[in-house]
Amino acid sequence: MSVAHPDCREVENMKRRGLVLFSILFVFTLILIVQNNVKGDSQYVGSEACKGCHEDQYRSYAKSAHAKKAISGSPANREGCESCHGPGAQHVEKGGVKGVSIFTFERKGDSKAKSSKCLACHEESKHLTSWDISKHKSTGVSCDNCHSIHGGTDKPLKAKEPDLCYSCHKYIRTQQNKQSHHPVKEGRITCSSCHEVHGGFGPRMVKADSVNDLCYKCHAEKRGPYAFEHPPVQENCLTCHEVHGSNHTKLLVRKVPFLCQSCHTRTGHPSRPATNFHSFGGPATSQKNRFFARSCLNCHGNIHGSSRSPGFDR
Amino acid sequence: MMLVLAICFLSFSIVFSEEKRIEGEISAIGSYIGVDADGGGEAKFTEYKDLREHGGLYGRIRLKYDTEKYFLHFRASDIAYDTQSYKLEGGMWGKFKYNLFYQGIPHNITFDARTFFVGAGSNILAGVPNTNVASWNTFDYSFERRQYGAGMALHMIKPFFFNVSFEREEREGIKPTGVAGTSPGGIGIELPEPVDYLTNNLKLETGYAKNPLFLSFMYFYSGFNNSNTVLHFRNPATGAQDIFSLPPDNTYHKGAFKGAVKLPFQSRLSTNIGFSKGESETTAFPLSLDPITGRTGFDGEVKTLNYDIILTSNPLPFLNAKVFHKYYKRDNNSDIVPGIVEHFLDYKVRQYGAEVGFKLPSRFFLNGGYQHVRTEREFIKAFQDPSLVLPFNRDNIYFAELRWSGLDFMDLRIGYEKLDREAKERTPQADALPNKMFAYDGQDRDTVKASVDFFPMESLNFGFEYRHKRAEYDAAFGLKKDQRDEFATNVTYAFGKKAKFYGNIDFAWITFHPDLVRTQAADDFPWKAKQKDNTFGYGVGTEIYAIPQKLTFVFQHDFLRSNGNIDFTIHPALLIAGNGLGGANNETVDIMRSEDYTLYSFKFKTIYHLTKSLIASIGYAYERFSYRDDQLDNYQFVNPPGGPVAGTNGAFLTGAYRDQSYKAHLIFGGLTYKF
Repeated sequence: MSVAHPDCREVENMKRRGLVLFSILFVFTLILIVQNNVKGDSQYVGSEACKGCHEDQYRSYAKSAHAKKAISGSPANREGCESCHGPGAQHVEKGGVKGVSIFTFERKGDSKAKSSKCLACHEESKHLTSWDISKHKSTGVSCDNCHSIHGGTDKPLKAKEPDLCYSCHKYIRTQQNKQSHHPVKEGRITCSSCHEVHGGFGPRMVKADSVNDLCYKCHAEKRGPYAFEHPPVQENCLTCHEVHGSNHTKLLVRKVPFLCQSCHTRTGHPSRPATNFHSFGGPATSQKNRFFARSCLNCHGNIHGSSRSPGFDR
Repeated sequence: MMLVLAICFLSFSIVFSEEKRIEGEISAIGSYIGVDADGGGEAKFTEYKDLREHGGLYGRIRLKYDTEKYFLHFRASDIAYDTQSYKLEGGMWGKFKYNLFYQGIPHNITFDARTFFVGAGSNILAGVPNTNVASWNTFDYSFERRQYGAGMALHMIKPFFFNVSFEREEREGIKPTGVAGTSPGGIGIELPEPVDYLTNNLKLETGYAKNPLFLSFMYFYSGFNNSNTVLHFRNPATGAQDIFSLPPDNTYHKGAFKGAVKLPFQSRLSTNIGFSKGESETTAFPLSLDPITGRTGFDGEVKTLNYDIILTSNPLPFLNAKVFHKYYKRDNNSDIVPGIVEHFLDYKVRQYGAEVGFKLPSRFFLNGGYQHVRTEREFIKAFQDPSLVLPFNRDNIYFAELRWSGLDFMDLRIGYEKLDREAKERTPQADALPNKMFAYDGQDRDTVKASVDFFPMESLNFGFEYRHKRAEYDAAFGLKKDQRDEFATNVTYAFGKKAKFYGNIDFAWITFHPDLVRTQAADDFPWKAKQKDNTFGYGVGTEIYAIPQKLTFVFQHDFLRSNGNIDFTIHPALLIAGNGLGGANNETVDIMRSEDYTLYSFKFKTIYHLTKSLIASIGYAYERFSYRDDQLDNYQFVNPPGGPVAGTNGAFLTGAYRDQSYKAHLIFGGLTYKF
């Protein structure tokens, strides 16, 4: 029969102590982890609790797409109101004071933080794929500047177009009120008919790769190609047209013939001045048709391109 | 139209079997209209509207049906009028959605236009020219767009998606055009051009969207058909039959790929690649154009290619950045017909640039960037006239914007952009030409924008925005400088639950600074024209809730005035009868009324809730538009009245855009039922 050496017993005791210590630490850590999870769940109070104080907002949420369980990942399938506003337990404990321990979409809030709440679910939507490259994002516009799940119109926008857009783009309203304009204020088209408001690759966030490609969607008769081209027309419609509104007929940047004389100088009759003397009431008896009625367009009707004449008069 | 309505009601009847959660409203508004205007004014008042003489009855329907699984929304307005519109949207939440729509957009230009021709609106204008305007035939310059289509989006195949949409537009009517009796130096002949277009657009898109990857493939087709390829008319200058070409049929195909991938450090790489082909075909071409084949038609073809690569990054909380490269190319591969058709425009645009944004302390945000754009043009294909080659452009664009929202009640924004354009003439002959064109020549452009928004209270917000844009062009002749100053304000104030006020004031000053034009080299005398447009407008409105949710008064008043003039400085040698300037001097030639107009309107409305669901309204509106333009005042259909004579550059006209002034009174009343 062998007897354990006293040194060996001490080593064993140390090992045992170490094992016990490790076990305690392990269990303690496990408890901490579980407790944190349990603690996280207990931070949510549920939408019914929110409804107690915010009945109007709850009702609008209940009517919205966010409340549809049929949409996978919608707030209705998650934490309801708290999916966007964050856990509400502390907010309730502190008496529900506005903005305390709860995320609000207040005007002065950080635009990135506010947008990230929406993008957490909507980032994978094809409409928002280009949000990162959009001018709206780089100038600090956030989703809640235009959208509100609590009231407003469809989509759900805080106000209808174009009034919503005019709140920031005021001088565009000035232009669209002018006598020659696209039928925006008549409600026939909207800002988003031409602009990709969530971002896109086109210039000025238009819904096409070039300005002309956009215009041709509604004005397909201008697309051609024509046998006789008018180069500034083919290159950029905005050389001659003011798209949001103009004091001049046909949304022209300048009155004809002065628009044409911006380029056509030093050659034949385009280089002659067309003045008040050449109007219907003027005394001139020659070269009159260069100013009255539609001026250059009295003869050059096919100004966007012609199949018959390089002078665009056939 | 009945088919669309039937589909709408069928959709509703299917889902009506589900639990009832339908809400909406039905409105009928009757109106009486009195318009005091000539044909031009009547058309201007109803430019994009369908307001029948003495009024009518307008219907509107809004229906919304939402269940846990399905949704169905229907909107109809101006039922049975030219402006009628219908939209049905529906689907299953999270699975798919579809839409059907119909919309009418009239565009009225001038009513009671006149012509000696018979057959206005068709592509054959017959008739012998005469100067007895009272005997001429009347017609309306007006056309209508009827747009309808459908679309569907599938979500149930997430992360894949599929969208399809189709839209058709029919456009019919008459618009003004002009033709030269003889060229050069002939009379002008204004013609009613028939509009009978059909455009079909189809878009298909499919892709994959799931972080970190987005992919999309798109195909777009557009087909344009014109029922008339030529307009036949008897030329009053020559007495012979003549042809005016109309827009040719064309087709357009576009394919595009879009992709995006999320990268580390909150970065994203986005790309877009597209290619398109547009074709046209016309037989309106001059006969005997090709002496070898005897071909009498023309086939046009234009291809484009574009790509964009953009990298955005937000590596640190206070920093975001973007770098990009863009390319767009247009190639015109249309028929070249030696001696007849040899001028086509090809061009390439390359852009690259970078933007950086900083979030600074005290709620300052600073954005800035640089962009370089190179435009290369090829204008001549078949023969080289070295003096007519268009230049290349190099643009350097710099911008900076500062935002500050350090105060709870205010946001301030200031931005500046500078464009510095250089033109590189490609041949010595083109460089030597004096008459370069502003659109292609060197340019220096500065744009400043500033805006301030105040919201001191929940119920009050007001803001100002100012934009200044000034461009100077290197071109020796033509447009030299233009400047725009635009200033806009708006204010909204809610006075508790008692009333709401809103208003705006807008100013705009646009000046095109002296053009320098030199008459042709044969005489070579200079003259200038400085054009100014000044616009001022304001609007005020109020809603007074006299009895909350029972009785409301609405008042709105808008005013807009624009004054334009053109100030000439003409070399004395040009002030001769041969130029139509016999006896003229630099004061008498100025144009004092260049599209001057005043628009004044106001509206009163009373809204009374008879019950919770039934709302009655009654109101009165007045609108006055006064328009003066030296180019149209004292209008003459035949110039000179005795008949155009060769060398006098007279015209036969039809009255397009004349007499646009009007006064209109509108009394209206309606009932709305909400449920």
